[in-house]
Amino acid sequence: MESTDSATLFSAELKKQLDKKDQEIEKLKKLLEQYQESACDQNFLRHEREDFHLASVDPVSRLSKNDIERYSRQLILPEFGVKGQMKLQSTSVLIVGAGGLGCPAAVYLAAAGIGRLGVVDYDEVELSNLHRQILHTSDRVGISKSLSIVRSCQRLNSRVEYVPYHLQLSSDNAMDIISRYDIVLDATDNVATRYLLNDACVMAGKPLVSGSALRFEGQLTVYNCSGGPCYRCLFPQPPPPETVTNCAEGGVIGVVPGIIGSMQALEAIKIGSGIGTSYSQRMLLFDALDGTFRCVKLRPRSQACVVCGEQPTVTQLIDYVQFCGAAATDKEQELKVLDKSSRISAKEYHSMLTSGLDHVLLDVRPEVEMDICQLPHPNINIPYATFTKDVQRAASQILDKMEDLKHGYHSNNPQEDQAYRYQQQHKRGLNTEPSDEAWLTNPPAIVCVCRRGNDSQFAVRMLQKEIQARLTRGEADHGGDQGIKIVDIRGGLHAWARHVDDQFPVY
Amino acid sequence: MEKSEHREFVEVNLLFFAKSREIVGQKSILFELPKITTRNLIIDSITKKFPDLQQISKNILLSLNEEYLDQDCSVTLKAGDELAVIPPLSGG
Repeated sequence: MESTDSATLFSAELKKQLDKKDQEIEKLKKLLEQYQESACDQNFLRHEREDFHLASVDPVSRLSKNDIERYSRQLILPEFGVKGQMKLQSTSVLIVGAGGLGCPAAVYLAAAGIGRLGVVDYDEVELSNLHRQILHTSDRVGISKSLSIVRSCQRLNSRVEYVPYHLQLSSDNAMDIISRYDIVLDATDNVATRYLLNDACVMAGKPLVSGSALRFEGQLTVYNCSGGPCYRCLFPQPPPPETVTNCAEGGVIGVVPGIIGSMQALEAIKIGSGIGTSYSQRMLLFDALDGTFRCVKLRPRSQACVVCGEQPTVTQLIDYVQFCGAAATDKEQELKVLDKSSRISAKEYHSMLTSGLDHVLLDVRPEVEMDICQLPHPNINIPYATFTKDVQRAASQILDKMEDLKHGYHSNNPQEDQAYRYQQQHKRGLNTEPSDEAWLTNPPAIVCVCRRGNDSQFAVRMLQKEIQARLTRGEADHGGDQGIKIVDIRGGLHAWARHVDDQFPVY
Repeated sequence: MEKSEHREFVEVNLLFFAKSREIVGQKSILFELPKITTRNLIIDSITKKFPDLQQISKNILLSLNEEYLDQDCSVTLKAGDELAVIPPLSGG
């Protein structure tokens, strides 16, 4: 009896040790795989200032047994067939932009068996990309986007040749890169790169399958293809930079670029396989809120077009950042509108809160963003759009709020309780950090904040002007000799998260 | 007869896309326009009604019943026609 027991125990112990060894082996295998992957990535990835030479894609004249099985469902389509497949496998496509459009485009081109797939992106994967840029993964945050797409596509179809470019497409390298491909996909996120790609494709004689998406809307057109217009035929002038909204600012539902990017792959497959595109001289407008697709017939190529017309005046690539007056990225630029005296840092605002200085906190973000997160002090939310529409009304609301404060107004708002708790929690911190900041002797009466610290500056400037005008007219109480001091928080909520509270959400 | 046609107005369906939708705050409106007009005069009428569209007036496509209208081409409208204001989207 006893010996059976010890035998059971012994075998259980052996099994446990075996499992442990198995886990160790698994771990070592993973490490080796990662090491090999990254060593191979370094040889694989193409960087700036490199020779972009590529041998041309070998024309395919027969399909292997494996190809026939893999592509069987498209081979039996009479419009496509073996001929279409062989053409596709002899075709190279360059995707510019490895984001919301580039991911779905890449995955379908890879799956369909395109011959060569180049992917250009200067950027690295961020957590806020993943809701729409579906080939990247949580564990690839921080690595090159073009490489991430290629890794994912390789798992899907290793028979395709992949070329990831970790670089910013520019007037210096665009012709060299584009000329080595048959079809180009515009999957970028900014106006300057769109004009650059258009001009480069006209000069290199490549069809440009262009997609774009924002919020709930998408657009698709194939430019510079079978007598159709180029982007400049339709939009000779770039839009004023302040009228351009990007996804970081305007938001986007992930499926919208998903649909448009998939359609870009579809049109590239149709061009590559010889079927031909349906979107030359036509523009698709997708409205995801209504669930509608509209197709607008466009003009043919413009004879007067400066790049593709009869007498082009743009015959080599220009400076597109200058032409568009905006950077070739969708990253927010940090603006400097106000001078130093009208700005405080997130840390200074933190000290202001802990010392319990009375002030009005004005949050100028859109209403929908107030639900995401707020600073730990009661605030008044007047979206920046309201300032641009009716600054007088905005100013009156703020001055009323100041009056309330002066008369000891206190609400039962839970947010204000939160502010009180915040002060209590941080009071000790304040005692250990004596402050000699000038603003303590002349503290701001109004502190303005937004997400990144750009809108807040414009709002402060408008508010300063409006309140000054009222003071001059004697319509406002100026609250002391120095007038009403209005400042913004430099860098907005992002700075707060970076410098004060690392638990504060960033979006 | 011709003279009175020039003064005749028709009601069309005016659609807004992308940035113009954001500026106007509406997807579509009923809009009265002269029956006989030009593409550029239509743009003028629209920007008169919505002055904030002025800033993008040089960066839009205008289509009539899903067909592009060329700069300054003349247009004869019918009641119920669909005009679309289409600025380019650049996000992705």
